[in-house]
Amino acid sequence: MSEGAPAAPRPRPARRSERGPRAGSPRPGRVGTGAWPYLLPAVLVYVGFAVYPAVSTLQFSFLDWDGVAPPAWAGVDNFLRVVTEPLLGRAILNALLLIVFFTVLPIALGLVMTALIAGRARRGAAFYRVVFFLPQVLPLVAVGTTWRWMYSEDGMVNRFLGAVGLGDHARAWLGDENTALAALGLIGTWCMSGLCMVLFISGAQKVDAALHEAAAIDGAGPARRFLSVTLPGLRKEIGIAGVITTIAALAGFDLVFVTTDGGPAGATNVPALLVYRLAFNEGDIGAASALAVVLTVLVAVFVGAIRLLTREDA
Amino acid sequence: MLSTSVREDDTPDSASTSVTGEPVTLRLAYADDPPTKALVDGFTRRHPNVTVELERTQFRDYVTTVKLSMSSDDPPDIAQYNPGAMGSLIPAGLIMNLDLHAEAYGWQEEFPSSALEPLRTGEDAGEYGSGSLYAVPGSLSVLGVFFNTELLEEAGVDGPPATLEEFEQDLERVEDTGTTPLGAGALEVGGFHLWNALLNVLGDQQDYRDWVYGSPGATIETAAAERAARTLTRWERAGYLSEGANAASDMDAQADFAAGGSAYLVTGNWAAAALSEEMGQDVGFFLMPGPTGREPPVASGSSVSYAVSSRTGHPDVAAAFLDYLGTYEAARIQARSGFMPVDPAAAGAGEGVMGQINAGFAEVIEAEGLVPFPDYATPGMIDRLTPGVQGLVAGVRTEEEFLASLQEEWEDEHE
Repeated sequence: MSEGAPAAPRPRPARRSERGPRAGSPRPGRVGTGAWPYLLPAVLVYVGFAVYPAVSTLQFSFLDWDGVAPPAWAGVDNFLRVVTEPLLGRAILNALLLIVFFTVLPIALGLVMTALIAGRARRGAAFYRVVFFLPQVLPLVAVGTTWRWMYSEDGMVNRFLGAVGLGDHARAWLGDENTALAALGLIGTWCMSGLCMVLFISGAQKVDAALHEAAAIDGAGPARRFLSVTLPGLRKEIGIAGVITTIAALAGFDLVFVTTDGGPAGATNVPALLVYRLAFNEGDIGAASALAVVLTVLVAVFVGAIRLLTREDA
Repeated sequence: MLSTSVREDDTPDSASTSVTGEPVTLRLAYADDPPTKALVDGFTRRHPNVTVELERTQFRDYVTTVKLSMSSDDPPDIAQYNPGAMGSLIPAGLIMNLDLHAEAYGWQEEFPSSALEPLRTGEDAGEYGSGSLYAVPGSLSVLGVFFNTELLEEAGVDGPPATLEEFEQDLERVEDTGTTPLGAGALEVGGFHLWNALLNVLGDQQDYRDWVYGSPGATIETAAAERAARTLTRWERAGYLSEGANAASDMDAQADFAAGGSAYLVTGNWAAAALSEEMGQDVGFFLMPGPTGREPPVASGSSVSYAVSSRTGHPDVAAAFLDYLGTYEAARIQARSGFMPVDPAAAGAGEGVMGQINAGFAEVIEAEGLVPFPDYATPGMIDRLTPGVQGLVAGVRTEEEFLASLQEEWEDEHE
């Protein structure tokens, strides 16, 4: 969870100890004992709702347990079961393909929108920001249901295709083996692009205006200035956007659950959906936890890679 | 929470049909309403000294919550039966064995035996259909075929078909008029309900029951089940099924049928109230017909049933509630709530589509032909049935592969 947090600005702890009441406190960056009462509420919430469930999941993954009967030690059986599960390979592949739609496309679109509306204060910029960010605010269950109707046999998408003379290509997009995953992914693109844009615009605003001026005096046009001045300044924001959206692609559940439920015939199965089925349909808490642990490792690997690629000194 | 590894004693010391006059408070956990609240109100009117506290959970979360609450130190006295949850709770001894009360009250005569059958099992809950009684039905449902009379008239089809072959011819006639013959919500349960309705009339009833109940050696890889699957794919290839079936939820398919988007829809009586409200006199119902039309009627159905905690302080009062569910008065409440009553006589003749459903249902109960849905077989079966039928519809899975995947799941559970 903490991977998404930006690195703490470095100079601050030093300044704090200079002017703080405990000027003689130990090395900068260390928390004195007096800080604990202030930290305690947050620590309790974090331990209770993040650390404890995570540790419990790890513990359950080694048990044979249906949620009621006394659990029995299962060793690595659950892990053997989930890695040999025939549906899992396809589900992980699907999740990786979703990264294209949840991460790559939204970052690209976010950059384009940033190039178009950042920089100069244009009339209506706030309006566009709100419109593009709106999908982030809507609950995914409502988003999924609405898109399911739009994609249906006589939904808006097909009616539009009919109106522009492409009626032959109309189909039930989420019901077709070949198009379901892409159709699902594009809903993710629609949701995530606004988030990326808002992150990038705020990043672009931090870029020193003098740099833009200097580049302009040297004869750089708007495109050149975006690529050479704005884009390098957005490295950190792109990293954060990449982390958030990749987690959504790999660990996402609600959107798939309400649109296709993994169908047709498993074409849009994702790991989180299999975790849900194991736990709540089959009542196999052990195997569900083991799969959740595998999924967590997968997410950690990808997030680690993204952090490595977007480091300031990379 | 899990202090003991010994099975709780689930048999009460004694069973009495008399209800105390002292004030008693029972707690009841449930997911389905209607009919639960109306039935509880009816019961407490008869026994004013009994107060029932209702604890409702959304259906989706019910399996999990009922498992936790029934295994806690302070469980509800009565809980709505759920096969997935009870499969864990019965072996733990947390659900009361109702055999003594069933005998004292004579429930075998009071309730249709095909409705009690799925609620019987052994101590390990490995095999259903026989053994001790663990719950009692408070209302039933039945699967069949709804049709749009107006669209059928346009296609020159005169009323319900007498045989399966005739039904197929009718589908073709409708297809010729350019209307989608058969709606199906294959995104959810609608797809496998169609296969199930075909299997009911093509297969041997006992073979199917054995498989759903988990009898040793049972299999779904039968010629009849394959024939049912082949019929479904043949209809799909012929264009009888709605095109976007795999992306349509059950509500989507129902709404589409109500709006005249398809001529037939295979679903249960639960859709009747909404359909007759929207379509008025233009909707009808029949049971899926068999190959000769003279077979005893068989149809899948489920029940909203109630089980008692083995730790309840008031086993006799809880049992009195279960007994009330089989009374004519309770059956009237069930029928009014849109369910099939456990006493078919209480449904009355009814008008229009309700009358047709009541008549069909009475035939099924009379012939003891009510069978459980196939997802009842194992907790994970629904995750094989829905994608499996989607694969048949999309043409990416063969009939043999579909049945083999069901059998594989069955054997995982019953090995």
